[in-house]
Formats: sequence, C-alpha cells, structure tokens
Amino acid sequence: MSRPSFYARIAAGAAFVSRRRGLLLKLLMLAALAALISLPPRPLVTVGPQQTVSTINPKLGVHTRLTDEVEEWKIKRTLEMVRAMGAPWIVEYFPWAYVEPDRPGQGLWQHSDMVIQHASAQGLEVIARLGFAPQWARPKDTSPLYLDEEHYAAFGDYVYEFVRRYRDQVNYIIIWNEPNLSLEWGYRPVDPAGYTRMLQVAYTRAKEANPAVQVLGGALAPTLAPPGSEWGMDDLHYLQAMYDAGAAPYFDILAAHAYGGKFAPDEPAAPDAINFARIELLRAIMVANGDEAKPIMITEGGWNDHPRWTRAVRPGQRISYTLRAFQKALEEWPWVDVVALWAFRYPAPARTYQDYFTFVTPDFQTKAIYLETQRYAHGQEN
Amino acid sequence: MPTAKRTERRLRWAWLALAGLLLLAALSLLFWRTTGLGRDRTWEHILAAGQWRVGLDPSFPPFEALDAAGQPIGFDVDLARAIAATWGVEVQFEGLGFDGLVDAVQTGRLESAISALPYQPERTQDVAFSPAYFEAGLVLVTPAGDKLEAGAAVGAGAVGSLDDLAGRRLAVEWGSEGDVQARLLRRRFPDLVLLPEDTPQAALLAVAEGQADAALVDHISALQASAADPRLAISPEVIVSDPYVIVLPRKAPELQRQVSTALQTLQADGTLDALMAHWFGPTPTE
Repeated sequence: MSRPSFYARIAAGAAFVSRRRGLLLKLLMLAALAALISLPPRPLVTVGPQQTVSTINPKLGVHTRLTDEVEEWKIKRTLEMVRAMGAPWIVEYFPWAYVEPDRPGQGLWQHSDMVIQHASAQGLEVIARLGFAPQWARPKDTSPLYLDEEHYAAFGDYVYEFVRRYRDQVNYIIIWNEPNLSLEWGYRPVDPAGYTRMLQVAYTRAKEANPAVQVLGGALAPTLAPPGSEWGMDDLHYLQAMYDAGAAPYFDILAAHAYGGKFAPDEPAAPDAINFARIELLRAIMVANGDEAKPIMITEGGWNDHPRWTRAVRPGQRISYTLRAFQKALEEWPWVDVVALWAFRYPAPARTYQDYFTFVTPDFQTKAIYLETQRYAHGQEN
Repeated sequence: MPTAKRTERRLRWAWLALAGLLLLAALSLLFWRTTGLGRDRTWEHILAAGQWRVGLDPSFPPFEALDAAGQPIGFDVDLARAIAATWGVEVQFEGLGFDGLVDAVQTGRLESAISALPYQPERTQDVAFSPAYFEAGLVLVTPAGDKLEAGAAVGAGAVGSLDDLAGRRLAVEWGSEGDVQARLLRRRFPDLVLLPEDTPQAALLAVAEGQADAALVDHISALQASAADPRLAISPEVIVSDPYVIVLPRKAPELQRQVSTALQTLQADGTLDALMAHWFGPTPTE
C-alpha cells in the first residue's frame, strides 16, 4: 500500500477540520433552537394597568359567569366591559371541585388567579361564591351540590385556602347557593339547621385565614314553596329557621336574591308575592332577630325580557325596572350595600330564556340594557 | 428480475387489492342492510303508526296557542298537519315548555318539534334542523306610499332600505334587538333620529301616523301590523335574520329528507303563502 503524498495528507486534514467546523456549526444552531424553544412563551394577554370604576351609584353590580370561560382575553374583556358600564361590584363563582377535583389540597388555582387578577386590575370588588363539592367529598352518584356533614370540615379547608390565598384581593365570600331549594341542596330535603352548621364551619375557617373577610350567608332563592314541599322552603321561613338554629354569629352580611318577575321594583313586598321588594321582608326578619346592624347584598336578581317566557317583561320595561332598582337601593335602602344583577354575560348562548337576563351577548355585543345602565351609571340623562 | 415481469407482478397485486376492497364494501353493505343500522326507525315508526309525534309550546300565538276547547291552533299547527298530509299520516301534538323541546327531540320523546323555534347552531351535534319555514328577523316598515324596492333610488321621504336612513326618523321598540341595531346604525348615519317606543306596535303606529319615516321591528310584529293597517308596508330586505325551523332527530335521515321535500312542495303549491295569509293577513310586500 502506497503512502499518501504530503499534499494529499494536507488536503485530508483540511477536509476533516472543515467537516468538524460544519458539525460544530450545526450543534450551535441546534443549541440556539433548543434555547428558543425552552424560553417561556410571551403572554398573549396581560393584566394591564390599574383601572378605577367611574359611577354615580356605588352599589351597582353584576353577577359574572366566568367559571366556564376558558380564554383569558375573554375574561379580561368581560371585566373591562363591567368596569366600563360603571359597576364596581361583581359576584363570581369559584367552584371547589375545580380547584381540588381529585384530592384535598390539590390546588388548581390558575383559573381563579386569572379571574381575580383581572378583576382587581379593573378596579372591581369581587364577591366570591364558594360551593360545588368534588367527587371525593361526596357519595357516588350524588350531585356536586350535595355535601354531608362529615365533609363540612373539608369544605372549610377549601374556604380557608381560598380566603388565605386572596386575602389582599377578595374581601367578601358567599357560602353555598340557594340552600332552600332541594336542587341546590343535592336533591335532598332542605335543612336550615344543616346549612347553619355548614355556615359555622366555613365562617370559622374563613376568619382564621383572614379576620377581616366578610362572610355572606343565605343567598336564598325567592320561592313560595308551601310547607312540606319536596322542591324547597319559602325563603322567609328558611331565614327564620336559620336564626332559630343559631346562624346569627356565623354571617356578617345576608346575601339575597331579588328577582322582579313581571313586577316593577316599587311593587310592595308581600309574603305571597315574589318581587324585587321581597328583600324588605328578609330585612324585617333580620331586625326581628336583633340583626339590624347587618347589611344585605343582592347577589342575584333582575328582570328578563325573553319574548316567550311567562315571567318576562318587555325589553323597555326591563331597562326602566333595572335602573329604578339601582336607584331604589341607593335612595331608599341604606341597609343594602350591593345590587348585583344576574347575569352580565354567558360564555356561550344558553338558547333558553336565560339568555335574556344578560347585559352583553357571548360575542360581546352590548345590549340596550348595558348601554342604558352605562348611561345611568355615568350620570347621563335618558 | 426483468421489468415486464415486475410490472406484471405489481398489476396482479393491484387487482387483488381492488378485489379485496370491493369485497369489503359488499360485506359492509350487507351488514348495514341486515342489521338495520342504516334504517331510519323514526320515519318507519311514523309510517307504521300513521302518526307523527310533534311537540310544541302552545303559548305563542299566532304560531301556537290553545283554543277554547283546549285544542292546539296556529300557524305551526297547520304547517305540521300540511306536512303530515303529504305523507298520508296524522299529527299527534304534545305540549311542552319551549325550553325543553329540543332536548325532547334529542332523547326521542318527540319525533319532531315545530314551535317557532330558531335555528341553534350549538345544537347541531344533538339534533337536526329543517330548512327555514319562517323568517322572524328584523325588517324595516315604511309608509305604504313610500315603498320602494331595496337599494332603489329614493326621493324625498321615501325609505326603501338601510342605505336610505340618513337623516331619517327611525322608530324602534326601546331595548329590543331593533333598538340595538338602530344604535349601531347611528354610527353610520350620525344624523339618524331614533324614536324609542314602549312596544313594537307603538313604533309601527308612529310610522303609520307620519311621526317616523320607518320602523325597525321583528317580522312577526311587522306582518301583524301591516295586515291590519294599509298605511304600512314591509321592506323586502331582512336586516337581521332569525329563521324558524323544524327540529328533527339527528339519526333520522329519511325523516329529514321528507320534511325538506314537504316544505319545498308546500312552498311551490302555495300552501305556505296561504298559511301566512290566514294567520297574519295578506302579505303587504306582495
């Protein structure tokens, strides 16, 4: 075998160096690509600068429906529109089962964080509605609205964690929703004493986490259910039964639902009528039980303008009743702190009469009720 | 291997694959037919029973209501009977709240629902929808003497379409969808004067009495008012569409086809127009 010539060896060496340089270049490019990929993505939606709500009525509020809203820009847009309407208060639902779906202390807070950060940035005061039991906290084949007393402590832990986590941002929490309806009490006979025990556990744990947090109890559905009804209990009877069970020390504010049905907000309250002024009867029960110092917050309510629903009013009536309701609370009900009406916007159309409770369509089209409320809140004459 | 031989071998494999596919298709068809998986059992049941089970919420006249004897009457009732007549069957009506009608069709409790129901794109995975049989959306109503074809040039005082609204007085029902659209229109025509009224009837009366140049209202109110008042005419352009459709089971392809065919037939032979005239009066745009 003949030896390669000197020049051939030089050429082979140069080729080797060239191949290595090419390999090095490729490796460098790969490393740069890997570094680019591993960089955290730039956020598509930012919280933005701190805003404030401009309004002539500091009691004005809405119940938002962001629980099932996935996209952050939609959450932000919704809350921007609430602020722009002139409502400083929102009620929002933070289901326990969404945060701890599989086990206690699981802590999936991402969605709650997102909602509360954006609400705070828009200058909105959040009233957080807590409830909705995860599967692990209730028997098989029960609804998420079922919670037996054995698991009140677990619910109390969730309340504690929620209040602790948001102690600088959330000052109001509602414990459960409409417990005077069988449907909302896990399809069981309603139980004011049982709800009072739940309230006691939740209140105690909430105050442990943040003594300043205000706990709202009740959130009763206005209903004329007769005694012994399988569907529920008259809200007036239920509230008295709560007091009888010793609920007074375990809530700071009564949450009330005030739906007007077909009646104007000035329609007088009566025990056999469901109308907006029915909360005056709840107030009377509070006073009779020595609880007159506690305020009421309306955390659901309003009018519906569906063309076919039997309990709906005309769109123009809905506007005038709604504005009058805000003004009535401001002028005549010093014991009402908030009027948060149902519901600002749904993530998707319900395609039922429920769509006609909203102020804004799922695709953010403002309804006339939104524009008129905005005009009212900014002190503009109609 | 020689090229010719290789080509011959490839051809043989191709033929074998084709034959296999054909055999598979034939077996699938046989399976489909013998197991009944491809049958429309809803349609077969309607024909066998001689009855079509249709749901409605009889609380929305003139589409559906109950007469003094408690029997359903209305445009939708007559439409269901007219469709059934083309198949030689009767209609069995079932009353149900309108919010539950689509679910009742989805679960098989009803074979169809005809109850002034709008098209619901979110439910197309649950049920099927017929072609529209009625347009309930927003229309412009103008004084009858000023009626023009859409888009035509207009003289003073005449409104034929949205393009003619600059500087005009437009009556709407306060808070309604017509009101929302009118407020949007004002961005396009800043000099458009809005006249909000408490009801669509009041908005239409404002047009009839010359206080407004046009009204933007739902088609049902427009039809009812213009049939009763010859001073009003409906512009043919639909401003915002809201079609009413028949809700049908998703797995009933033959019933869906038969309903579509029946609607086409009733449109072609004038039955739909006759129903409109009967329940709303003569259509003033014609």
